[in-house]
Amino acid sequence: MSAAEKVTLAMGAGGKQTSELIERVFAQRFASPLLTADDAAVLDAPHGKMAMSTDGFIVSPSFFAGGNIGKLSICGTVNDLACMGARPLYLTCAFVIEEGYPLDKLEQIADAMAATAAEVGVTLVAGDTKVAGRGQVDGVFITTTGVGELVEGAAPEGSKAAPGDAIIVTGDVGRHGCTILLERDDFGIEADVTSDCAPLWASVEAMFDVTHDVHVIRDATRGGVGTVLYEIAGQSDVGVVLDAAAIPVDPAVGGVCRMLGLEPLYLACEGRLVIIAPKDVAPAIVEALRACPYSAGAAIIGEVTAERPGWVVLNTEIGTQTLLPQPTGELLPRIC
Amino acid sequence: MCVGLSAKVVRIQDGTAIVDASGARRDVSVALLDEIEPGDYVMVHAGIAIAKITDEDEHETDEVLEALYA
Amino acid sequence: MSDATRLTPAQILASYDGRPLRIMEVCGTHTHEIFRLGIRKMFPAQVELISGPGCPVCVTPVGFIDEAIWLAEHGATITTFGDLVRVPGTSGSLATARAAGARVQVVYSPLDAVDYAREHTDEQVVFLSVGFETTVPASCLAAKQALDEGLTNFSLLTANKTMPNAYAALRDSADVFLYPGHVHAIIGTALCEDLVAQGVSGVLAGFTAKELVTALAVAVAKGATGEPFFVNAYPRVVRPEGTPQAVALIDELMEPCDTEWRGLGVIPQSGLKLRDKFAAVDARRVFNMPAIEGRANPACRCGEILRGSCKPSDCPLFGRVCTPQHPVGACMVSGEGACSAYYQYGGDML
Repeated sequence: MSAAEKVTLAMGAGGKQTSELIERVFAQRFASPLLTADDAAVLDAPHGKMAMSTDGFIVSPSFFAGGNIGKLSICGTVNDLACMGARPLYLTCAFVIEEGYPLDKLEQIADAMAATAAEVGVTLVAGDTKVAGRGQVDGVFITTTGVGELVEGAAPEGSKAAPGDAIIVTGDVGRHGCTILLERDDFGIEADVTSDCAPLWASVEAMFDVTHDVHVIRDATRGGVGTVLYEIAGQSDVGVVLDAAAIPVDPAVGGVCRMLGLEPLYLACEGRLVIIAPKDVAPAIVEALRACPYSAGAAIIGEVTAERPGWVVLNTEIGTQTLLPQPTGELLPRIC
Repeated sequence: MCVGLSAKVVRIQDGTAIVDASGARRDVSVALLDEIEPGDYVMVHAGIAIAKITDEDEHETDEVLEALYA
Repeated sequence: MSDATRLTPAQILASYDGRPLRIMEVCGTHTHEIFRLGIRKMFPAQVELISGPGCPVCVTPVGFIDEAIWLAEHGATITTFGDLVRVPGTSGSLATARAAGARVQVVYSPLDAVDYAREHTDEQVVFLSVGFETTVPASCLAAKQALDEGLTNFSLLTANKTMPNAYAALRDSADVFLYPGHVHAIIGTALCEDLVAQGVSGVLAGFTAKELVTALAVAVAKGATGEPFFVNAYPRVVRPEGTPQAVALIDELMEPCDTEWRGLGVIPQSGLKLRDKFAAVDARRVFNMPAIEGRANPACRCGEILRGSCKPSDCPLFGRVCTPQHPVGACMVSGEGACSAYYQYGGDML
């Protein structure tokens, strides 16, 4: 397929050209006995309880340092399942593609999806392709839905954080958000920053090998680690105290944030979990996480308290305490 | 009122410098400063260098205290 | 004093037991860092830290946002620092104007706005020139660059402010001023020396934790005596002469004018406007803009807060109607506004 070929409206019309598009771009890459030409996938039911999640992905640009929207669409749903303690089994994916989108880029997106799914051991069992007129979507939008099987004995929930628990992040914060900000090139800044986009089931599984006594697992996506911590503090009605110096931040991400007056805790991540577990098992969890490639930078960053429920407090570099300002929505660079 | 960024000058050409702050790089104007060379640190505000930085805050504050007790 | 009795800056703050002291941090970035670092808790009760009017967003009057929206409605592309996007005008902000179709571009530097104008010659590009002496040179450089390049689609909507007359207007609001380091990096320290002669005390402060705590320690140690003083505690950036080329550039393009400070009213000769010979880059003249007068929410007490005569929590709107998500007054919009800092850092909770 040559680089000049583009997606056309006819490819989304449901006829022969649609079949050709699916055959050339998706069918081979996603091939499995479960993926058929029929109207629905027929699957073995998981043992015990199952988890199900869905997520829509729009990212501009759709290719960025460290991944593309395809990889993101697999990681996002896999990580949502992993946060419930569920081993990802099956995924479906639905594409909305803009007329004129280059076919070779679509192939690269499908390649990334296939590679990430294979790495996790999750099977793509059904898909859908639509083409929208030029300007009606921005490039490619992908929705993935996943089904996973709950690991017995583990039942993390956002409302289970308890005073005395340790707070762990699986790596440095804010790298995906920083990467996208740099890719958009709105502010003329350059830095060697790569998205943290990664599938985290293997890390969760490694943690479960050590203990099932995990109270909360959350993936920090759009609002970053800070937003997740405020959500957990609210859901569990507890306070959170962070040690500012212990929060891992890539130096270049820190530099970009200082330039624009942004807080790394509020930049998006796509491959970082916040894990809350009893303090006595936390060091073993961190050790297990560090042995996995996507959570090698795991660290304990604070603890859960009974004081100041609903708030996130930072122990500062000069030994004082201050609140982490609550998220305010759109991140705007500031001069003052 | 004015967020400042301390950054290291990497390269200078025609009144514009590339500065580096922990690996984040950007063009800034150095048109308002004399005798800036690569390796110097400058205070950047809104895309222009407003002053050369001549010391580290550690040493600076030591001297300020020294003077207070003098 | 012998070495044996030397205290660290933090100890000087914590052990202060002298006369009651009101210290006003003039600069909003200082306000922000003082909250971010939890420095307020390092003081005993008789030291009061007052957040002053040094946030360009906070003191920019409602009418300026109305002017910007008027320009956008008359075909201009608005380029602005991110700080201004959510500031409420009389009826709506640039964010709501953008949602309704206005072209609003956030830039890091006024020079980036010139780049934008060069790349979009079919658009009339206006940069919202707010800020104090620190920020004005960047606007002036941008205007000059646009003129030098012969661009005819770039102009400034100015609402710039200068500090000297503001200090005079505020002189009774505090016992010691924490002077804004980056304003004085431009204008130098002569003004501070003059103020000592008039009985006004102050410390020029930097922005790192060490610099802030040290400057505040100097403020209480010297403030205890009641004798007027000035200390430059930020000498690694602020030279006595400032940055003369920046001052000359401002003077070349701009001249003083009376200007309204949101909440404080008009302070004579405390603003800057483009000189007549730079009319070609003055958006008000380029667009023949009518006089626009904004109306602030009458219940908002930003003015008293900026003068340090009331706390954010004394305002009836604070935290109820007025929050960082839905700001009413400018002090709530800017990350360094007193109300925003007070709200986001939990007021007196910690």
